[in-house]
Amino acid sequence: MTYYVDAEEHPATDRQGVAQLPPWGETRVVGKPLSRVDAYERVTGSAVYTLDLTLPDMLHAAIVRCPHAHARVTRVDTSRAERMPGVRAVLTGASPGADIPWHIGRQGPTSRLFDTHCRYAGEEVAAVAAETPHQAWDATRAVAVEYEVLPFVVDVDAAVRPDAPQVHEGGNRLGAPRVSERGDVRAGFAQADVVVEGTYRTSCELHTTMETYVSVVRWDGSRLTVWDSTQGVFATRAGLARILDLPLSSVRVICPYMGGGFGSKFEVGKHTIIAALLARMTGQPVKAAVLREESFLSQGNRPANVIRLRAGAKRDGTLTALEGTFTGVVGAYPTGGTAPFQVEALYRCPNVRVEASDVYVNAGRGCAFRAPGFPPCNWALEQLMDELAGKLGMDPVDLRLKNLTTVLQSQGNMPFTSMGLGECLTRGAEAFGWRAARERPPAVGHVVRGVGMAAGMWGYQGEPRSTVILKLYADSSVNLNMGASDIGTGTKTVMAMVVAEELGVPLERIQIEHADTATTQYAPVSGGSQTVLVNAPAVRAAAADVKRQILEIAAAEMQCQVGDLVLADGKVARADGSGEARPVSALRGLQERDVLVGVGRRHPHPEGKIALPFAAQFAEVEVNTRTGEVRVVRLVAAHDSGRVMNLKTYENQVFGGMTMGVGFALMEQRVLDPQTGKMANANWHDYKIPTAMDVPLEQTCVPVDPHDTECNTTGAKGLGEPATIPTAAAIANAVHHAIGVRVTEAPITPMQVLQLLAARREGE
Amino acid sequence: MTDDRKYLSRRAFLESVGVGAAGATLAGVAPRAATAAVQEEGLTWVALRVNGRSHQLLVEPRWTLLDVLRERLELTGTKLGCGRGECGACTVLVDGTPRYACLVLAVEAEGREVTTVEGLMRGEEMGTVQTAFVEEDAFQCGYCTPGQVMAAEGLLRRLPHPGPEAIREGMSGNLCRCGAYKHIFEAVRRAAELRG
Amino acid sequence: MLPTFTYVRPKSVTEALELGATEGAVLHAGGTDLLGCLRDGVFRAGKVVSLSALGELRGVARTSDGGLRIGALTTLSEIAEHATVRGQYLALAQGAAAAASPQLRNQGTIGGNLCQRPRCWYFRGDFHCLRKGGDRCYAVNGDNRYHCILGGTACYIVHPSDTAPALVALGAQVRVASRSGSRLVPIDEFFVPPARSVQRENVLRPGDLLTEILLPPASGRSVYRKVRARGSWDFALAGVAVAATVTEGRVEQARVVLSGVAPIPWRAAEAEALLTGRQLDADTIGRAAEASVAGAQPLAHNGYKIHLVRGLVAETLEALA
Repeated sequence: MTYYVDAEEHPATDRQGVAQLPPWGETRVVGKPLSRVDAYERVTGSAVYTLDLTLPDMLHAAIVRCPHAHARVTRVDTSRAERMPGVRAVLTGASPGADIPWHIGRQGPTSRLFDTHCRYAGEEVAAVAAETPHQAWDATRAVAVEYEVLPFVVDVDAAVRPDAPQVHEGGNRLGAPRVSERGDVRAGFAQADVVVEGTYRTSCELHTTMETYVSVVRWDGSRLTVWDSTQGVFATRAGLARILDLPLSSVRVICPYMGGGFGSKFEVGKHTIIAALLARMTGQPVKAAVLREESFLSQGNRPANVIRLRAGAKRDGTLTALEGTFTGVVGAYPTGGTAPFQVEALYRCPNVRVEASDVYVNAGRGCAFRAPGFPPCNWALEQLMDELAGKLGMDPVDLRLKNLTTVLQSQGNMPFTSMGLGECLTRGAEAFGWRAARERPPAVGHVVRGVGMAAGMWGYQGEPRSTVILKLYADSSVNLNMGASDIGTGTKTVMAMVVAEELGVPLERIQIEHADTATTQYAPVSGGSQTVLVNAPAVRAAAADVKRQILEIAAAEMQCQVGDLVLADGKVARADGSGEARPVSALRGLQERDVLVGVGRRHPHPEGKIALPFAAQFAEVEVNTRTGEVRVVRLVAAHDSGRVMNLKTYENQVFGGMTMGVGFALMEQRVLDPQTGKMANANWHDYKIPTAMDVPLEQTCVPVDPHDTECNTTGAKGLGEPATIPTAAAIANAVHHAIGVRVTEAPITPMQVLQLLAARREGE
Repeated sequence: MTDDRKYLSRRAFLESVGVGAAGATLAGVAPRAATAAVQEEGLTWVALRVNGRSHQLLVEPRWTLLDVLRERLELTGTKLGCGRGECGACTVLVDGTPRYACLVLAVEAEGREVTTVEGLMRGEEMGTVQTAFVEEDAFQCGYCTPGQVMAAEGLLRRLPHPGPEAIREGMSGNLCRCGAYKHIFEAVRRAAELRG
Repeated sequence: MLPTFTYVRPKSVTEALELGATEGAVLHAGGTDLLGCLRDGVFRAGKVVSLSALGELRGVARTSDGGLRIGALTTLSEIAEHATVRGQYLALAQGAAAAASPQLRNQGTIGGNLCQRPRCWYFRGDFHCLRKGGDRCYAVNGDNRYHCILGGTACYIVHPSDTAPALVALGAQVRVASRSGSRLVPIDEFFVPPARSVQRENVLRPGDLLTEILLPPASGRSVYRKVRARGSWDFALAGVAVAATVTEGRVEQARVVLSGVAPIPWRAAEAEALLTGRQLDADTIGRAAEASVAGAQPLAHNGYKIHLVRGLVAETLEALA
């Protein structure tokens, strides 16, 4: 399931010697709707993103890419490019040191940095470094490449036929299907009173981050410094060290601000290695930025899915069997394409069988994208559940409530540390006015409204490895040193709030250094909805370490025991209230040392239990049955992500995830021309993501906090991905409620709505 | 892109037009209404006013206002998103109205007042829109934010008290992939309040 | 990235006409479509001739016959917000307001909006198609969901403008200037279908300049309605401009012009004929809606446009009734 972290090694967590802190009770700072600590930098434009960075003597790189869906490079002639104004270096696979194997994942066929066998339109063929971005781009136009064009395949049904052009030797299937089952599905279906089934298709989606993919690379002798737009500086560092054969101590990766990743910036990119090679060749720093037009082709995507699902249930709604076949269209290189997890885990069901397989096509390869595999699976599962509810004559919310489970059935029935889905369903339904909306009389006229809902969960509880250092300065202000990136979710603010909670230091007196492999400590990539739950406990542990040191120093000076003292509001006082409270900055021991250094490490995950987040989202849509237009009127999201760390950023994430879900439901789709295999909509106009006009004005967030004291020492669970998992299915179910037609293929466009309504009229 | 497209030499020259026109010299700057003058090496002088300051720059005609702001004036607050008017990240005010800097040639911006996100500041003090964005947490990764701020500023200069639909429509030329729209709408409403 | 070009900014229309007729010259009005085309390599520009100094080509004013003159360089925002246009030529204001995004409307001109190049993703993309001088139209056997259902032959683009159908519905004329003088062209005759030429979308020749649009005195009501997937930026999946004079429920005259379905703004002539002289009731509306797609020839992926146009025309006529 965690295929997207497979690129780098992750050893198991050491389970010893990490002390646990007691759970927080009522908090003073954590949970409040505080503004972000770096808000000023972001709204004034003073934050420097990698694309903004200029170094003295810096060159700009541009990349030559294969224009064919499938081709062999037979000749690369760079002679004209080399003579062009401002050009300092040209890089091809034949350049010294550039014939680098490119491993994608840890298994399967490998490629090369500049593979002469190009398997998708957009694949890298050569690169140029020049003094200005325009000169570099001009030079790429002058690189003459000869190709032997090969037959291609971009359609998944065509790709699995025996006579299909082969993307890789051995055929277009990535190995044998992965099967997972429990119980006996045949018996389960036999027991069912009602069986429903359906085939669902989802489209290939692109991340389209606001800041493109960009690295600035500088060599100092044999040491490398890379500013990279990345979600994880340590992941980029590991990749660079491995590929360029350098010790970790010779590679420094820095990223204070980055403009969006959504999973596409977890691994070192080819543009980064290209920049490193060009920098080495020229002796000058190099900035390599992928152009927006290119970014649609080569930077990863959410694979399209074809999902066949079947569900059986008793008359009272109890599920007896679930069965599904999942096919992921992964593109030209190996990656994970699907995730049947929710079919196996979301509802209580004793008999389940899922089969998943992935297929190559000649198109850009997939990668992690906000809950990889989960929104497509949810699109199918939650529409099927909606069908089931209809057939049973049951309210869709009641059907979910009937089938809740408190254990992870796909992993030996390991109990969840908390499971708030039931409360999400009931409180979400109430906030939405669900019952009344479902019972509304049918509309008169051609513009109709409907409501729908979907439940969902996320399946990853994060990699429990993070080391945080907290320094207390002599005036009792602090420095928080952590490896985690803030990719926009408010990480820095949340972590500062943890420090404020533990030590009573106000946010204005917290200095933060982060996301620099040379000066901050390891944290996993910021993604996978793991950032808060992995890092906040480490921050808390570091703060606790500092607190312990403060109290030890104070106890010595005040001639008492540590246990007699409390730390509050920047002062140490006796617990019994006697004597004077002493400001921390007045402690002689602190002045003598000048600084106290606290180290905190993330404790292991709970033994024998798992902490996962859950959600229920509700949508109201309006459909114009004459024009096919679908408008989302309002959205309500109820989330169990454990403790709310900061209400403002929490809500922002939920609204943001739902916005992405609107895109999935109504407009996002990579279109490949069937005649050439090339992408037809490789621009931000034709690849459509939601604008301000496409989201409802009315969006409500209902946090459900189950007060989980076992998941970790902060009680928080992941949020970023659950926020987008059930949205599209909720919208699809609302459309069905409105017009009585189910759209099983995402996105739901006016085109589809009109075709389906016309087909229904013809059928009548 | 098609490989057979003819590459045009960078050493192309601008033409001087106008009978009797003195023709601007290297040191001079042509006034707004006159034709741009011949210069060496395909570069031309352009006089730009950005955030109340005048700049005289040698530019290639193909350089956009965005190129010049970021690469020449080092005002990197205005962001490059797509470079083709499809995302709004590069929104600036030109004579007070929001435009995409990536679609304005630098030479076309001559004689106009350009305001960037930096220009909304008073020293280190934020403008009203920026303050409102901070209060309402109207951003996530922050990359689209300067463009959103400029679009909001332009909207409020034109419509000081916009209703919810007018806000939405005024911000409809700015993509936010993080999906912070709801908070952005709140921030524009709040900014209108702060401006009175 | 933009390829290299030279740049010149004439200070009079005469100079602009001279320069516009030279080798490799392209005109820059607002520039919003021009720069996109240059970025995509749709055509080459040796010399960009900027019209931005030609203030006389901007603005909205009354004509002596009670109509309206709109300078070709008037921005879409100016037109969308203009009180007289909104009051008396609503379809045009709505067409201008429906285009693109606020920033693009602040920069894009009505002249540019009429003359913009097609949005066909083969035309704009790395495909050497018929309209760019190649030997085939990629839409025929390709993904043609956004292509035309009417008026297509050899090439199957749709005309992308929202103001064009409104102007056709309102009976506008455009003034075309050249070195040899200027002429008035009825807007119906301005656009060129592929049956006549696949190399250009309007009658302008190199060296011509669209200087102004003339609207007759306003009569009756008009409206423009656009259907699209996204609420901003998107071009029309289909749109309709209707201008009609209705007296006591009876249609005296009507123009029904479709966008997004044909290579030129498409007069739904049969629908117009069906409406004229009739009561604007449900029966008439239904038959007119049906007639608006008479003769439509869908491609493999755009059959939905037939249902869309039918529904759209019906809805729009109902709103006028």
